Amino acid sequence: MAARLLSLFCALVSLACFVLPMYIIRPFRHQGAHELAVALFVRQIGPSLSVACAIVSLALLILGWRRMRGWLTRLAMAFACVLALGGAYLARVNVYELMFHHLDTPQFEVAKDSHVDKDDMVLAVLVNGDARAYPIREMAYHHVVNDTVGREPIVSTY
Amino acid sequence: MWARTVKGLVLTFHLAGINNQNFLMRDEETGTFWQQISGRAISGPLAGSQLEPVHSDELTFALWHSEAPQGKVLKPVPKFASEYETKDWDVRMAKERTVLDFPNSGLRSRDLVFGIEAFGASRAYPVERIFAAKVIEDRLGGEPILIVAGQDGKSIRVFQAKAEFYRAGDVLMDAETGSDWNFSGCAVRGKLAGKCLPPVNALKDYWFDWRNYHPDTTIFKR
Repeated sequence: MAARLLSLFCALVSLACFVLPMYIIRPFRHQGAHELAVALFVRQIGPSLSVACAIVSLALLILGWRRMRGWLTRLAMAFACVLALGGAYLARVNVYELMFHHLDTPQFEVAKDSHVDKDDMVLAVLVNGDARAYPIREMAYHHVVNDTVGREPIVSTY
Repeated sequence: MWARTVKGLVLTFHLAGINNQNFLMRDEETGTFWQQISGRAISGPLAGSQLEPVHSDELTFALWHSEAPQGKVLKPVPKFASEYETKDWDVRMAKERTVLDFPNSGLRSRDLVFGIEAFGASRAYPVERIFAAKVIEDRLGGEPILIVAGQDGKSIRVFQAKAEFYRAGDVLMDAETGSDWNFSGCAVRGKLAGKCLPPVNALKDYWFDWRNYHPDTTIFKR
């Protein structure tokens, strides 16, 4: 019985590592500073906590397999183990990082070759004589551009 | 716009969450979470750190090009080109609902403001009012600042300015010497030719976003 409860607990904790931050940091809703801090804390510890849970759950399944009575118990324990493993995988995935495409190796062209409309807005920066423009219509898609301007590593955000 | 060297480490940022319609970044190197609007590390190994701002301006392409003829422009990435925003996207954005509002604050959530946080104070300048006035002289945290609207009717810049300024037709002049100043904040003719005003960082933002992350902000009224 204790093994079954522990396995269920591990499955739930592992899943929570993924679901909780995902639920709190979902778009189109307001987040308070405190709940955001909780969500981000879970995101930080999630990868290791969920793996620990998956290992415990897997150990309970393998070591206890022979002693388990009935297929229903075995099935339930196996199911809990799959959930714990799933949580361990998902806690490593940040949906936002998959959805949004930031740039790490931005490419540039000289202003006269650019097709940006005259009246379109750009984010303009000048570092050590190196002038760069990030068109807003591109930035509103990429949002984050990791760049090096005038030998200075900077991040352009919008 | 931020410098991405922190404690000798060059960080690579990803967009890793959305908080009250402002986004969160995560750096690959340490896994720390950062708030985009403030550049502040809010969770993780570097929590409490602050990214150094790099001065940037939001300008029309034509104005920027006239000032930086040799400048370089971010090239569209072909595989994402069809996803880039359309020309009228700001009109659409202005109609999007917000997740938090500040009723009775004097402004509506989607009102565009020019937010300035400097000299220990923060103030929101409604963009409409800047373009109506063309030049605004104000004091922020005890320091005199000068907000100038560009000829294109879309670009805005802010400078630290001790002198009094006025606009004579299309030209900006200082009251004391009558020197002509350009939109980059540099005197181009007159006694002060060659002098430049120090720029002040500012952010064009929606009122709700500026107000949410600058709870002590005041609103420019005049």
